[in-house]
This record gives sequence, structure tokens and C-alpha cells, in this order.
Amino acid sequence: MKKFLAAFAFLAAICAGSPAFAALSVDVTQGTAQPLPIAIPDFLGDPNAGPNIAGAVRADLERSGLFRPLDQRGFAEHITNINTVPNFQSWRAITAQGLVSGQVTQQPDGRLRVDFRLWDVFGESQMLGQTFATTPENWRRVAHMVSDAIYERVTGEKGYFDTRIVFISESGPATKRVKRLAIMDEDGANPNFLTNGSYMVLTPRFNPTAQMIAYMSYISAKPRVYLFDLETGRQELLGNFPNMTFSPRFSPDGNRVALTLENGGNSDIYVMDLRTRAIQRLTTDPAIDTAPSFSPDGRQIVFESDRGGAQQIYVMNADGSNQRRISFGPGRNGTPVWSPRGDKIAFTKQSGGTFAVGVMNVDGSGERVLTNGYEDEGPTWAPNGRVLMFNRTLSGGRGSQIWSVDVTGRNERRVPTPGSASDPAWSPLIQ
Amino acid sequence: MLRRAQPTTAEGPRYGVFGSLAFHALVFAAALLTFNRNLATPQDTHVVPVDLVTIADQTNVQAMAPKPQAEAQPEKMDIPVPEREAPPEPDMTEAAPSPDAQLPDYKIAKETPKDQPKTKKEQSQDFAALLNKLTAPEKPVKNARQGPRVIRQQGLGNAMTADLVSALQSQIYRCWNVQGLIGSPDPDDLVVDFSLTLNPDGTVGRAQLLTLNGNGYTRAAAETASRAIYSCQPYHLPANRYQEWREVNPLHFDPRQMMQ
Repeated sequence: MKKFLAAFAFLAAICAGSPAFAALSVDVTQGTAQPLPIAIPDFLGDPNAGPNIAGAVRADLERSGLFRPLDQRGFAEHITNINTVPNFQSWRAITAQGLVSGQVTQQPDGRLRVDFRLWDVFGESQMLGQTFATTPENWRRVAHMVSDAIYERVTGEKGYFDTRIVFISESGPATKRVKRLAIMDEDGANPNFLTNGSYMVLTPRFNPTAQMIAYMSYISAKPRVYLFDLETGRQELLGNFPNMTFSPRFSPDGNRVALTLENGGNSDIYVMDLRTRAIQRLTTDPAIDTAPSFSPDGRQIVFESDRGGAQQIYVMNADGSNQRRISFGPGRNGTPVWSPRGDKIAFTKQSGGTFAVGVMNVDGSGERVLTNGYEDEGPTWAPNGRVLMFNRTLSGGRGSQIWSVDVTGRNERRVPTPGSASDPAWSPLIQ
Repeated sequence: MLRRAQPTTAEGPRYGVFGSLAFHALVFAAALLTFNRNLATPQDTHVVPVDLVTIADQTNVQAMAPKPQAEAQPEKMDIPVPEREAPPEPDMTEAAPSPDAQLPDYKIAKETPKDQPKTKKEQSQDFAALLNKLTAPEKPVKNARQGPRVIRQQGLGNAMTADLVSALQSQIYRCWNVQGLIGSPDPDDLVVDFSLTLNPDGTVGRAQLLTLNGNGYTRAAAETASRAIYSCQPYHLPANRYQEWREVNPLHFDPRQMMQ
């Protein structure tokens, strides 16, 4: 009996010692995918630069497809001082999840100082605060740097707004097209012509510091690769080859240019060292090998070859060894470009009479088409590997346009250009 | 030689059927409560008490007076003039390095385990270890991260709380906006766990990030989840069952299916 009572008491003690609840376990695997509502009131201070900069930031973030800047007219609180904590409740009431407050002040030396803060409306805390100083006419660059900082803080990925696009601008009637090398900001602002159109220019590409452009030109009635220095405006011929050279692309360290040399009807890929001007041949087979593009670590090159019968995509080491095919999908696949993030290759797929832009993994798997025009080609990557621009030729001889799209195929948009435009190439982030 | 006859079972011991029933019930209750609680206790008591966001105390929701001082001192960054067609000599000033975005401090602090019965510990641990094997994830995560091993409730708990689980899922889903995560290079970086304590009125008492990872994409995912938790409150759950939904651990956010 005593033993029983002892056991009884002991078990009763266990029961008394145990709490009466246990935690719920919840898996959330479905949600929504909507642009993030963000409030960006005009920046305080300078009456021109304040609204201009905020407006450019709003436009950048909206264009990315990831943010939805809210209409200022709906704001209940008016920020008058960026150094005080906002009334988060009033921003929550208009469904804002992020808030940007900023100010532009003129310095004694004439430069502008731009301060901004990014606030987490639900967490009621500051996520980011930065300051920039620049000349007044540089306000667009500051706006893009603010946008990049906000984009990076929210997504974890570097932004792409402080970049430029080099492209071919076309004008004139269809029988007498004038093609000029042009450059503009990534949002289409500040277009500038770099050549006067007296000679044909094609496939311009930036070097990694965005100070030089390599392109192909028919100046002497034979296509050659030239280097254009953006700072000095000087052009120089890249190598003195007897035959055609085309499709130039810089290596990620900027010291080499891969290009195609034509020789007796056979096209092969070569690499030229810009410092020594030494040239190395990488492909030797009798097919057309062209369109080389370096991987971001500079160790591999993806290129196009028709050695298998029709254009397909191949990868090789940067010294030309280990050449192997990676595209096996239907149709012809060409113009490959390695993503700056290293994880994907963009390309042009031609099948059934249409051209479309697609991406694949670097081993050729996971191939998917991103665009749905009838002649979309020539992709170029944003420096963060999340967005692409490409050439869209309109039917009926109406010229061509530059469009952008996400690496997921979403958010297809036209990039505004002065008239018809083609052959876009995206710069790295401006240093 | 005859032995003295023992009492037969028909007579029974003095305490009788009721005593026996009570004893059985007690054993049953003790086992149920002991094992039940161990099922919910994290196997690894090294819980990471990281507060990703500032949690406002629920009893203090009145108007907040703006603080006079700014917290962060932003750093200067000079920008060189960009090139133009015919540029004057550009004034290239050294760009000071921009401040690194502050990643949350993922410190591991040892939390002393809450009151646990000292006895029967090995037995419950064996049981829990067995359950662990049964609920192991199918796909090994690439970056083997040291998350707390929380064992999902199985068996007796499930049927009673399944409706609470789905009520929470359906209420939080519309606030969980993964748009900014789509396009991240590695979807496995985006899986995050929280522990959530709810007040009786369904508002958030405390939300705590449990995932250990210094990656910028994981932080973006954690903030996305945190926004979801806060923007969908108050949660509408049956008040008379508050003890069952008061603690949510883990609140597991896995956006990989949505990354296609």
C-alpha cells in the first residue's frame, strides 16, 4: 500500500509539473507576389532637386516591378524633418510598408548634399540611412544611387539603376537608315550620340569600368572591331587584321577582348590581350564559331557554333580547352551571354520563324523562353543578373525598339529611346 | 504441509476497482502530459534570441511622440562627375566607401531550459529522437544551417489543432508578399523560421527570428515574413482555445514553391 501511495504521489507530481499547452506548428508556403507599397514623398529642401530626385527614385523602383510607390496626395503625415521618427501609424493606414524620407541641401561650395532614410513601417524602425554629395547637374545619378541602396536593402541583391545603356540609334527612311552609336541612362534619360552616322556601327559593348566601348564598324567597308574611349572620344582600331573581325566582348577584368576573326570563310574565336596586343586563337574547327562571352570569373567562355549542323551554344575554358555543347533544345540557339551573377546564360532562340530571348543554366539545363515578340534577340544583362534588355524588331518594317524583362519572364517593358533603337548593351554599375 | 490460503483475487486488495482506475488514469495522464510537452520542446535548446525588428510593446499603442534625435549618422559619399561628350577636366574625388548595411547580429545565447521534470528524461529523449527520424526533411538544405530542431506535433496533437493551423495559414497568407524574393539565386536561402507569441486579442506579443544565416537574401526573406506577421494582425482565433494557439513555434515560411 505504501509503495502504491508513493507511486501515486509521484505521478501526480509529474502531472502538476507539466504545463497545460504546447506550441502550434504552422507552415506557410503560399503567399502573394505583389509590388511592395512604398511611400516616397518629395525630398525636402531644394525646391527643384527635392521633387526631381524623389520622382526619379519613384520611377526607378516602380520600373523594377518590385515596388509600388504610393500617390503623394494620399499621405496623411507631412514629413518636415527627416531626423524625427515618423508617425508610423498614419503610414500603415495608407497601406505603406516602406517609407523614404529625404532632403536636399545646398552646400556653401555649390554642391548638393542629399540625405535619405528608409523606414520599416511595420517594424517601426530605420532600415537604411545614407548621404551623398555632388554637383547639382548630377542629381539623376544620386537618385539612381538612392534607388540602388533601397533595392539592395529590401531584396538582398545589388541594384542596377546607376548604369548606362549603349545602343545603336536609327533614324531616316528605310532606304537610307542612319545608324549612330548612342548612350543613355538605364531609364532612357540623357541620350547622347557618340558617332555621326557616316559609317555603320554594330554590337557595341561596355568594358567593365564603363569607360570604353568595343564595337564593330564598317568604316573601311570591311567590318572591324574598334575601341571607343568615352572620356576622350577617341577611337582606335583593335588589332590590324587583314580580314573581318566582329562580335567583340571584354573579359571581366577588362584586360582582354574576345572576338571573332574571319579567315577564308571560316570564323573562329580569338582573345586579344589589350596590354600586350598578343592574340591567342581558341577555336580551330571549320565551322562558324562566334559570339563569345566570358563567365564572371573570367575562366570560361560561352559561344555560338554551327559545327553540329545548326547554331548551338557551347562552353569552353578561357584557353580554348574542353569545348562542349550545352544547348540541346529545339531550334537554333545563339548570341549567348553569361550572367554577371554567374548562374545563367541568356541567348536568342530561333524556331518556327520567330526569334525569342531565353535563359538557361550554365550546364544547359532549365532552358526557358522569356519573351513573346516575333523577333526578340540580342539579350544583355543588368549587372545584378536579374533583369535583361533585348532588341525587339517590329513587324512591317517599323524599325526596332529596346525592351527589358526580368530573368523570371515578368515585367516586360519598353525602354524609351529617341526613335528606333537596336543592339543594347548594359554597363556595369558606374564606379 | 498445508500453506495458509492467500486471499483470492475475487476479494481483491482493499482499494478496489476505483483505485485501480484512478491509478491507470494517472499514469495515462502523466504519460500524455510528459510526452506531449517534450514533443513541443525544441530538441536543441540553443534558441537564437534575435530580434530582427523593434517590437512595440502591445500595451503602449497610444500616440508616439517623435524622438528628437536621429539614430544613425549617415556617411558621406562623393560622386565623381560622369563623362560627357566633350567633358571638361572631370573633378574626380575619392569616393569614400559606403557604409555596409548592418546585418543583424546572429549571436547564439544559451537559454536555460524551462522547468522540466528531471525524471524520465532519457525515456522522453529516446522517444523524441525516434520522432526526429520520422519527420526528417526530404531534401537536404544546401547550406547546412544550425537551426533549432523543432519536432512537429504528431499523433494526438494533430487532429485537435489542425483547424487552428489552417486558420492561421489562411489569415497570414495574404500578407506574405514574396515579390522581392523572386529571382534570388538560391531559393534555399529564403526559408526562415519564427517563434510567435500571440496576445489573447490575436495581436502579436512577440515575434522572434529563429533562423541562423548571415546571408543578405535570408535577411530579405526574414523581413518579408516579419512584415507578414505584423501586417495581418490581429489574428481571429477562438478565444476559448487561447492556450492552444498562444505560442506558434515554428512559424515556418518556405517560399520555394512560389519561386517558379
